[in-house]
Amino acid sequence: MFETIRRHLFLYGSFLKHNLKNEMIYRSNFMILVAMDIFFMMVNVVFFSIIFNNVKTIGGWNFYQLLILMGSVGIIRELAYLTFRQGFINIGDYIRTGEFDLLLVKPVSPKLHLGFRHISLTESLGEGIMGIILVAVGYAHLPDKHLLDIPLYLFFLFNSLIIYYSFCLMINSSVFWIIKSQELNTIVYYFMETARYPRDIYKGIGKALFTFIIPISLIGTAPASVLAGRSTGPLLFLSVGVALTLLVTGSLIWRVSIRHYSSASS
Amino acid sequence: MAIIEVHKLSKSFDYFKKEPGLKGSIKSLFWRETLHKYAIQDVSFQIEEGELVGFLGPNGAGKTTTLKILAGILLPTSGSAKVLGFDPWKREKRYQKQFSIVMGQKNQLWWDLPASESFALNRDIYEIDPKIYIKNLNELVELMGLRELLDIPVRKLSLGERMKCELVAALLHQPGILFLDEPTIGLDVVSQEKIRQFVEEYNRFQKTTIILTSHYMRDIERLCKRVLVINDGGIIYDGALEELMNRYVDHKVLKIQFHKQVSEENLRRFGEIVERDGLRVVLKTKKKEIPHLVQRMLTEFEVDDLAIEEVQVEEVIRRIFNKT
Repeated sequence: MFETIRRHLFLYGSFLKHNLKNEMIYRSNFMILVAMDIFFMMVNVVFFSIIFNNVKTIGGWNFYQLLILMGSVGIIRELAYLTFRQGFINIGDYIRTGEFDLLLVKPVSPKLHLGFRHISLTESLGEGIMGIILVAVGYAHLPDKHLLDIPLYLFFLFNSLIIYYSFCLMINSSVFWIIKSQELNTIVYYFMETARYPRDIYKGIGKALFTFIIPISLIGTAPASVLAGRSTGPLLFLSVGVALTLLVTGSLIWRVSIRHYSSASS
Repeated sequence: MAIIEVHKLSKSFDYFKKEPGLKGSIKSLFWRETLHKYAIQDVSFQIEEGELVGFLGPNGAGKTTTLKILAGILLPTSGSAKVLGFDPWKREKRYQKQFSIVMGQKNQLWWDLPASESFALNRDIYEIDPKIYIKNLNELVELMGLRELLDIPVRKLSLGERMKCELVAALLHQPGILFLDEPTIGLDVVSQEKIRQFVEEYNRFQKTTIILTSHYMRDIERLCKRVLVINDGGIIYDGALEELMNRYVDHKVLKIQFHKQVSEENLRRFGEIVERDGLRVVLKTKKKEIPHLVQRMLTEFEVDDLAIEEVQVEEVIRRIFNKT
């Protein structure tokens, strides 16, 4: 177990180095990407500040707490690009061209290898930087702070990353049948867009839907509520439980689906 | 001892029947008939350690499918295959570290980075000891003669140079088994020869078991003592190449451009006429008689152009297939 983790961290480091070298070759569009990300996150901040001129809270969250939520989603997105996201976006091409063959013969789990092969620092860097700023500003404006806030927050960021990863794994498993993955990842993208709204705004069926079937509402809300002083035992337990359950089911679905891979004739 | 044992291996693919035209496309959105097609059926063979075996067969015969099953890429529909005692499709790491597959039409190198970077990544993926890695890399680079290509981005290499790098990348971890699927496809003659030379030497020094598929008769002829001829998903010949060639191919093809008309009667003296189009003539001539027949032809007639060609693999297979 420990040995497996050590090996994958080592491999991650090696792949990260290679991907950074790769990204540096095409530096020119990097600044534009970062600027665009920051601009769109600013638009969101302005949007919420206008709303907060009229209301005090949304689903019980005040403006600064909401900054933490928005920022957390930005950070998670960047973390996802640093680990698995870009690989899943490309999976359709891998299947269609048969390049997936080359992932299946290497002594690395293909579902990790796919992501590692396309680690991107810059794809979502603007969101990451902006995310850290928003979280810092939001947290600085909150009255109650605890020693455990930050380590607990980091743990739940990681937990959310697992939820996001498992969700991608499940959705993208269907690529072995339908071959094209563009639409699948558009779906993932739009769901992630909703992650920046607090989970508390959903009621009844909507809440259950966004927790169990499409667990996106937990991705932002769980870590953000730790820093925002809104965390409750049930919410955190639910979040960890959902992460573990999804990871197990996601891996199972992936394993069954991969058997359907029929390669492409050369 | 056999390190590859294949017994009654079959693989079928599902595909959908679609009626032609837009109407058919719309209909197929809702209702499709599933059909099965066998890519290979009841294939059995054994390969000993250190052998260099060629898979021969026309496109779609099942060569690549067989290799892909042995490499663990595809699951067989039925039958068994043991490689080094492993079931390939279980994709055990211990097995994956002991073989390599190189596919002529697929690229494992990082496109924008120099090949040396991809090599270093493979060192980490295969957990090769750094010292052994450097030793292997130097040996392979020397054998291939590509020292000066190491620092050029892969996208700037020619197809032939890229294939050399692909082979090096595949061999860094000293696999005991190497699957080569059309390694010379699309390469110029010089590069093809270089690859063949390399494969030959590597097999001799490292005792690596190699399975090679190719369309090019030259590849097989040069490298493989034993061939498996696959057609329509089944093995129709398994044995020495020489015997196969002697049994089925006893002639070469002569393509001649004469300067003046030559009568049919005269042409027949040099072989069987396959094609005749004015001054251009194609003949089938017994191998053994070629040297003296050509010599005689050149003294008796004025010849503008002359080419002696091997019989195509496809034709060999067609002949074998016709007889069985």
